[in-house]
Amino acid sequence: MKEGVLCSHLRITKMNKRTPLSLIVVMLTLLGLSACAQKSDVDCQKTKQEVVVNTKPKAKPSPNNALILHSNKPLKISVVGQGVAPCNGACSPSQAYALAKRAAIADAYRLIAEKVKGVYVEGDDLIKNMMVKRSTVKTSVAAYIRNANVVETTFKDGLCEVEMEVVLVHSQLTR
Amino acid sequence: MRSRNGSCSSSFSTYSIIFLLFYSSVIFADEYLISYRYFVKNSALYNETLDVSKAMKKCSGKPYDSLSIEIKDTHNLKQILLQNKEKFTYFLNKIGFYITNEELTYNGNHVARTIITLKTTCFKVDFNDNFVTISPLK
Repeated sequence: MKEGVLCSHLRITKMNKRTPLSLIVVMLTLLGLSACAQKSDVDCQKTKQEVVVNTKPKAKPSPNNALILHSNKPLKISVVGQGVAPCNGACSPSQAYALAKRAAIADAYRLIAEKVKGVYVEGDDLIKNMMVKRSTVKTSVAAYIRNANVVETTFKDGLCEVEMEVVLVHSQLTR
Repeated sequence: MRSRNGSCSSSFSTYSIIFLLFYSSVIFADEYLISYRYFVKNSALYNETLDVSKAMKKCSGKPYDSLSIEIKDTHNLKQILLQNKEKFTYFLNKIGFYITNEELTYNGNHVARTIITLKTTCFKVDFNDNFVTISPLK
């Protein structure tokens, strides 16, 4: 709010040079502003308070919210994979559905593997004469996943979405 | 040799029938090697392969899970599995898949490849009257 008032003062100084009519109008607005000065001060305090609230450091994520596998509690991981049929209208709708579903399941498996095991990322940029000549990013993941369940399948406009979940149990992983 | 009252031969035949009934599944159980693989490039499926062959050697291990499929017209395991692909792939999800994913972004162009593989696994296969039961060995 203070910045706003300062800006209005600057405008006044500029406008004084131009026309007397505009000067009157500006004076009236200034009077209005001064009448509401107390109120604006309160608003300023409020905004200050709000700013203070916003600048508070964010609370660290508690271990309860994070995806951590505990020995006594199984962890359920749920993902949604997407897939499309490779044939552009050449195959029948049922065939397209079957193919898209397989692709969606593969995508869901990849997402589970990425969540559980992590992703290996390799980046390579070539800069020559201050210009990017080549930029390459490779990501890879490899995993063995069993007991995954397909929860829900939707097929719309050639896109198949498969919701898949896997339950991680501590005792099975630490065998 | 026949006994005086003839009960011995009848009991022998009864036992033999019971033996055959109980162990017929063991006698007719076969072992098959099954492998399954498909390749997904940019979210589209390519090269789905299902290989089924009879095991030349006896497999080691015990069956730990089973899937029963109704037989309609054929006794060819590969055809039966292809006819019931949905059911079979759901069963394979339980057994487990190997997933290999590679993604490459080259000058802003993105290519993603995912390979899903069931490594060659030995299955015990029982053909009964109208059903076939397959169970992986471990």
